Amino acid sequence: MRLDFVKIFVDSTAVLFRELVGPAVDVPSISMKPSPVAGREVMAIIGLAGEAQGRVIFDMDLFTAVQLAGHMLGEPSPGMTPLVRSSIAELASMAIGSAISKINDGGTRLRMSPPTVITGANLVSYDQCFETLVAPIATAYGEVRVNITIQDLD
Amino acid sequence: MLEAKPEMPMKAPLTCLIVDDSAFMRFHLRRMMDSFDNVIASEAANGNEAIREYGRLRPDIVLMDIVMPGLEGVETVKRICTEDPKARVIMISSVSYQEKVAEAMSAGAKWFIPKPVTTEELRRAIQSVLSDN
Repeated sequence: MRLDFVKIFVDSTAVLFRELVGPAVDVPSISMKPSPVAGREVMAIIGLAGEAQGRVIFDMDLFTAVQLAGHMLGEPSPGMTPLVRSSIAELASMAIGSAISKINDGGTRLRMSPPTVITGANLVSYDQCFETLVAPIATAYGEVRVNITIQDLD
Repeated sequence: MLEAKPEMPMKAPLTCLIVDDSAFMRFHLRRMMDSFDNVIASEAANGNEAIREYGRLRPDIVLMDIVMPGLEGVETVKRICTEDPKARVIMISSVSYQEKVAEAMSAGAKWFIPKPVTTEELRRAIQSVLSDN
């Protein structure tokens, strides 16, 4: 696990969330888990490739996703519309894009995939074999968990 | 007898092509552009669509994302600028490391704004790019 990169991902995400969602954003604790802790109704997934590889999964309740998107759009949304899905995807993309930029400027070549958003009940991530760092981000609209797995290529 | 009114000189509208695979970003940028005076904005959701729409519309300004499925932003700019060296492309991307910015500028982009973009940053970029030509 590249903990130095993980810190950049968490910090960039918190900064971006504060900028887009408001100042009441906090990262109360960070923990290492044997696999991703992502089973809420909305997941945004971004793949990482290059000199290191991995994946970042944002997961949140439907209510949180709709409220966050409403804040970003400047108008309330009635539910999980295509524009809400796209807003959540873009939120994840901007957070990881910012981190990727810092990591590349630091000398490690890393690129990201476009985000994929999955919605539904009882979602399960099957990346069971990868140690994952989980950072819950508290926002005014509920918690967003950021699951980060990143390793150097052997 | 009615006299014909002299025609008021009309300022031509600024035409803009917004290229981003994200519906949220297209919505967001269109709303920003709509807040400016006399702008007509069109949209494309990927690189191939952008090249087709650029050829059809020849917009004054292109706002271009980088990370897109299929033909990504830098390659799209390269192809548009090969076709029209006078194209005025502003890159707007969350991926903003120095090497990528340099790659975008050498592909022909005239300006780079890291996401999240503000209305003021966008206004400044458009004014600068327009005044350069």
